Amino acid sequence: MLKIEHLKKNYDNFSLNCSLEVHHGCVTGLIGQNGAGKSTTFKAVLGLISADGGSVRIFGKDLQEFVSEDRENIGVALSDSGFSGYLTVKDIIPILKNLYRNFDYSFFTEQTRRFQLPFDKKIKDFSTGMKAKLKVLVAISHKAKLLILDEPTAGLDVIARDELLEILREFMERDEERSILISSHISSDLETICDDIYMIHEGKVILHEDTDVLLSDYALLKIDEEQFKKLDKQFVLRSKKENYGYSCLTNQKRYYAENYPRIAIEKGTIDEVITMMIRGQES
Amino acid sequence: MKGLLVKDFRLMKGQKNFYFIIIAIAIGIAAISDDSSFLLGLPLVLSLFTLNTISYDEFDNGNAFLFTLPVSRAGYVIEKYCFAFLIGCSVWIFTIFLALVLGLLNVKADVSETMVTAMAVLPAVIVIQAIMIPFQLKFGAEKGRIALLGALGALFMISIVLVKAAKMLKIDTANFVNHLPMISKSAVTAMVLVILVIILLLSLKASISIMKHKEF
Repeated sequence: MLKIEHLKKNYDNFSLNCSLEVHHGCVTGLIGQNGAGKSTTFKAVLGLISADGGSVRIFGKDLQEFVSEDRENIGVALSDSGFSGYLTVKDIIPILKNLYRNFDYSFFTEQTRRFQLPFDKKIKDFSTGMKAKLKVLVAISHKAKLLILDEPTAGLDVIARDELLEILREFMERDEERSILISSHISSDLETICDDIYMIHEGKVILHEDTDVLLSDYALLKIDEEQFKKLDKQFVLRSKKENYGYSCLTNQKRYYAENYPRIAIEKGTIDEVITMMIRGQES
Repeated sequence: MKGLLVKDFRLMKGQKNFYFIIIAIAIGIAAISDDSSFLLGLPLVLSLFTLNTISYDEFDNGNAFLFTLPVSRAGYVIEKYCFAFLIGCSVWIFTIFLALVLGLLNVKADVSETMVTAMAVLPAVIVIQAIMIPFQLKFGAEKGRIALLGALGALFMISIVLVKAAKMLKIDTANFVNHLPMISKSAVTAMVLVILVIILLLSLKASISIMKHKEF
């Protein structure tokens, strides 16, 4: 569906070198700190910035050969950009109708009613939650095959975030071929919706794993100095000095549970995995 | 492209009160003065709304989202020229109509003079737009204005230098202009048209190239 290979973009104090793939029918998450390169990756994929190297293929077609018709199959929501705040939902409908051949008018109006988005109010006067929902509704209402969503849940409360993820789940259920590339720095959002997750740090992908595996096989070993010395470190990805000794990140929870029954093993959450991958030492 | 046109018209609708006030003031002045031809300044003022829509698009990084829609960069630029053309022409026709009506109501006003002014205003509107749009696209709303002032200043300086140089070299410019061969009205019109088309095409080409190199 979407394949990025060694996408490069260099700025004065930042350089991106990213490879990732979104498969048919999958929701792929991109997670990382602020400034890790998520938005740069999205912008390069969407052709908003020019890449300094590498390739981006969407629907098997090189981004360079993309024409406006191809863009009709992509739905996009950006964190820092959207329709002019001086427009209303009522204004947006004819715009979308004229831009997308597959714009689903009844679906769009039904959803705006469902989420109580006012028709005549200027978007700039919407609440953060309303703006976020509108962005996602715009992205999903023209039967896109691929959604590219940059931080769609940023700044939302728990309820609004749940509602938004529900919209995305429904979008995926309607057609098995659809895919989503979504970024967030709220890991619980991604945990619930993504099939696989890429972790990006300082412009590079430092981890790619299926969400199930991440949640089932990744763990934190909390051990003292003595235990650390004796530990078989072949499945330790990162370790970090703590005041009680060491905490070690592994992707083979069962191995350590079986061979070291006396050490404390904590189920890894995505947040902990990120922290360890970034702060921990490679062993 | 139609979607973008709809967007710009909707944005313009949001500012309708502002335009109604301008039109009302213009009509008011025209009604109490003897000369209705200054109404023709209206297309100049109102067609600047095209530039206004470019600022709207840029506001809050809106361009980034705009170019994720099924819109090419060249398509966006062409739409802006079409929008400028539509607005410029319709306001122009409307003001001529208005000037004529006011002219008919006011015996003192000279209708033929109004028509001559009208004919002169249209090329002016086109040239101004052709210069302003690339500037606005390149530098944005604030810097665009400064850049344009700078460019006009430079043009002014160049013309002064040229005149001075001509004087120093003892070339009589007034004599030169007076002795230009007389050309027929239709030839002048044709020449003006050709020049306008060339200016527009150059402006369009510059704008497309500016947009193609922009990053959002």
